Amino acid sequence: MSADVTGDGAGAEGGGGADVDQGTYECNICLDTARDAVVSLCGHLFCWPCLHQWLETRPNRQLCPVCKAGISRDKVIPLYGRGGSQMDPRTKTPPRPQGQRPEPENNHGGWTFGDGGFQMSFGIGAFPFGFFASAFNFNDGRPGPAPPGTPQAEEERVLSTLFLWIALIFMFWLLMA
Amino acid sequence: MANIAVARIKREFREVVKSEEAAKCNIRVELIDDNFTELRGEIAGPPETPYEGGKFLLEIKIPETYPFNPPKVKFMTKIWHPNISSVTGAICLDILKDQWAAAMTLRTVLLSLQALLSAAEPDDPQDAVVAKQYKENRHLWEKTARHWAQEYAEAPKSKKDDEFYDKVSQLAEMGFDRHKALTALSAHEWNMERATQDLIS
Repeated sequence: MSADVTGDGAGAEGGGGADVDQGTYECNICLDTARDAVVSLCGHLFCWPCLHQWLETRPNRQLCPVCKAGISRDKVIPLYGRGGSQMDPRTKTPPRPQGQRPEPENNHGGWTFGDGGFQMSFGIGAFPFGFFASAFNFNDGRPGPAPPGTPQAEEERVLSTLFLWIALIFMFWLLMA
Repeated sequence: MANIAVARIKREFREVVKSEEAAKCNIRVELIDDNFTELRGEIAGPPETPYEGGKFLLEIKIPETYPFNPPKVKFMTKIWHPNISSVTGAICLDILKDQWAAAMTLRTVLLSLQALLSAAEPDDPQDAVVAKQYKENRHLWEKTARHWAQEYAEAPKSKKDDEFYDKVSQLAEMGFDRHKALTALSAHEWNMERATQDLIS
């Protein structure tokens, strides 16, 4: 078969607008609407089976097929649309990587002082009684430092300076005794 | 052939047909067989190169594992270029080898080949003879490449080099094959004596 394709006959598809809309959610590998869609950190959309096969094809050089950014199985995000299949995608081979569910950020209000104070008191003991600090500090999920500029950050700064002085005095007293 | 390959080639075929470049007659594809395993490509010689005005035909073979592996492409039209074998038409281009990415298409491959015609990479040659000439005597390389484009790619003969034509004709009259005579002359800086010696040996 030989088809001259400079003509306008072959494969005329809907209007321009529809085309643009269709192209937006096409898998970059099979060029069809993405099934079991995943998106790379560089923002490129693929069917999971397509991307999986691409990663399998060259296990030593895992690059995004579009922009050649580094890519890996663990660093793609699955997309779940509402109208999607009810079937658990993980039962399919190859299983699609799972989404991650990071904890929402807590906005600590009035109980900051108590919580902070509790931790600080162990902080004092940390130098001479390190054992106790590690053995009894089962408060694992410490909140991170407050963003700079907030009153909370200011309070933390003052407290840490205060406790530093108390610790120094304590050590001085130990040496004298 | 695997389903995904056929479905993709159909789409890519449409993409090329609808592309701006096809409208400007820069690139073109044709089907060779019904099962989309082989295609015929065509690219126009880029302006301001010795290939300007020429039409270069390409053989495109789609592997079973497409698009996870690149298509196999070679020039069917004879061409004088550092990265393309003047004998077999084999192409040395990274994206057709290890730099292939599954999101590339027939259109991007054809455009990359066109870009290769504008910007040769003599340090990564496919044809060592051409690459040496490109580096050592750029002017002669340009004239030779233009002559090849006129001879094989239907490039306009406005800048025809009569000296080259005469030398080829002389050797042809002596009974040598025209293409072999042209190849020998091109490889020996258009020196009649050395070309003749090469043809005899």
